Amino acid sequence: MKIGPVKEVFKNLFKKPMTVMFPQEVVEIPERNRGEHHLDIDECISCGACARICPNRAIMMVEVPPELKEKYPKTYPQVDLGKCCFCALCEDVCPKGAITLTTYFFLATFEKDTTIKEPIIIE
Amino acid sequence: MTNKQQKYDVGDFAMFFGPAHPGSGNFSVKVEMRGERVLKATADPGYLHRGFEKLMEYRDPMQNSVLSDRVCVLEPLQWNLVHAEAVDNLMEYDVPERAKYIRVILAELSRIQSHFIWYAVMSLGTGFMTGFNVAMGYRDYILDVFNMITGGRVYPAGYICPGGVRKDLPEKAEKKILAVLDKVDYMRKFASTENLAWMARFKDIGVLTKEEAIKYGATGPILRGCGVAADVRRDDPYEIYDQLDFNIPVYDEGDAFHRFRIGLEEIEESMKIITQAVDRLPKGEVRTPNLKPTVQFRKAKGETYVRNELSRGEGAFYMVATGEKTPYRVKIRGPSFSHMIPILERLLTGVDYADLPAIYWSLYQCPADVDR
Ligand code: SF4
Ligand code: SF4
Repeated sequence: MKIGPVKEVFKNLFKKPMTVMFPQEVVEIPERNRGEHHLDIDECISCGACARICPNRAIMMVEVPPELKEKYPKTYPQVDLGKCCFCALCEDVCPKGAITLTTYFFLATFEKDTTIKEPIIIE
Repeated sequence: MTNKQQKYDVGDFAMFFGPAHPGSGNFSVKVEMRGERVLKATADPGYLHRGFEKLMEYRDPMQNSVLSDRVCVLEPLQWNLVHAEAVDNLMEYDVPERAKYIRVILAELSRIQSHFIWYAVMSLGTGFMTGFNVAMGYRDYILDVFNMITGGRVYPAGYICPGGVRKDLPEKAEKKILAVLDKVDYMRKFASTENLAWMARFKDIGVLTKEEAIKYGATGPILRGCGVAADVRRDDPYEIYDQLDFNIPVYDEGDAFHRFRIGLEEIEESMKIITQAVDRLPKGEVRTPNLKPTVQFRKAKGETYVRNELSRGEGAFYMVATGEKTPYRVKIRGPSFSHMIPILERLLTGVDYADLPAIYWSLYQCPADVDR
């Protein structure tokens, strides 16, 4: 009888599994991972370059709610994550580094309208 | 009774293999059967048509490089590379040396992970679930490297872009690339173990002769499995392949088993290429200087045809620019098209139904690049 397979079985018995116990344990996410967007609205100069380069037309330049209109009078990028393919071209093109992709990726949702990310959220 | 009715037997029937079959991918084959034997097979593609050629006419080259990932889900970095080379040619970009090395390292890693999927789906098709699980598990180590370098596990989103690559390698990337080669080597040994059940399913099955392979336009491992030593990396070198030392495995048998042997040996050759490229990796720029993220075609005029050796065979881009913002015409040549339609139909004629998945997967198909 060949002992190769038996050896393999014993080796695998004591090996660490490839998978992790998900909610308690999370694999390390590299810094470059392209996840949800973050907009630093104070940096944004409303140039619209991000909206023009987006291959999926996921970015629309919108006005902020009336309460904040005085502080932010121009239009700012609103990202529809439902259309976005996470290519990070918007990040590359932004002259001010205002829009960036974070590593956050838990974006699954049951409601379609929650995929839209407004430029600013009022608490 | 008319002649037509006499042609058929009571045991004759027609059925579909795919697209809803768990082991067929987004592709379908209509088979006419007599008992267990396939009388005639007709390939039925089109379930994954996304119209890239037209889409690309409406987007500028940088946006197209994001789109070019999706031509084939299983080897996105290599499609990125072909697209980037086509644009480089038209725009006459001088790609920095370091970028060329990074491009080759990533393309070869992509070839290895794609060959792992080949092993996985061949195992899946013939009921060897262990093989599938192990191969997909080991592929994940390579995806981790992709995630670290390109920011995405499967889709690099145009990481290899016109003019070079989008970002330089992160810190310690070289070390991590070399570390993942150990895992690759383990998986390669696992896949080349002489597994009797596996051999019985693939040996002397689906034999393609050299003449037929050439006639039907086979490329890549399928062609090399029939005894023709053709490889774009050597015949028409691109990037830095002419400076690297690697072999091109060839087998004369032309059956399913030897087609896959080619894949296994290519993994070894790819490992060699990656080690050499990482050793010699020069320092410097990774993108043509003064290039903005938006590449515009305004200056480019003319046409180009660029071909590369992908994991499945020869993939090519034909692109015409007329001085507009976007390409005037794009044509994509996917390697799977000739493998999945004429060759598959020819090989399936007269085989047992049980051999269908073995032959089907040994052709290393990707429905995504058949339909494009
Ligand atoms: S990541 Fe890409 S697809 Fe998403 S919003 Fe930015 S440019 Fe558009
Ligand atoms: S986020 Fe950047 S690119 Fe987009 S409008 Fe603001 S400054 Fe311009």
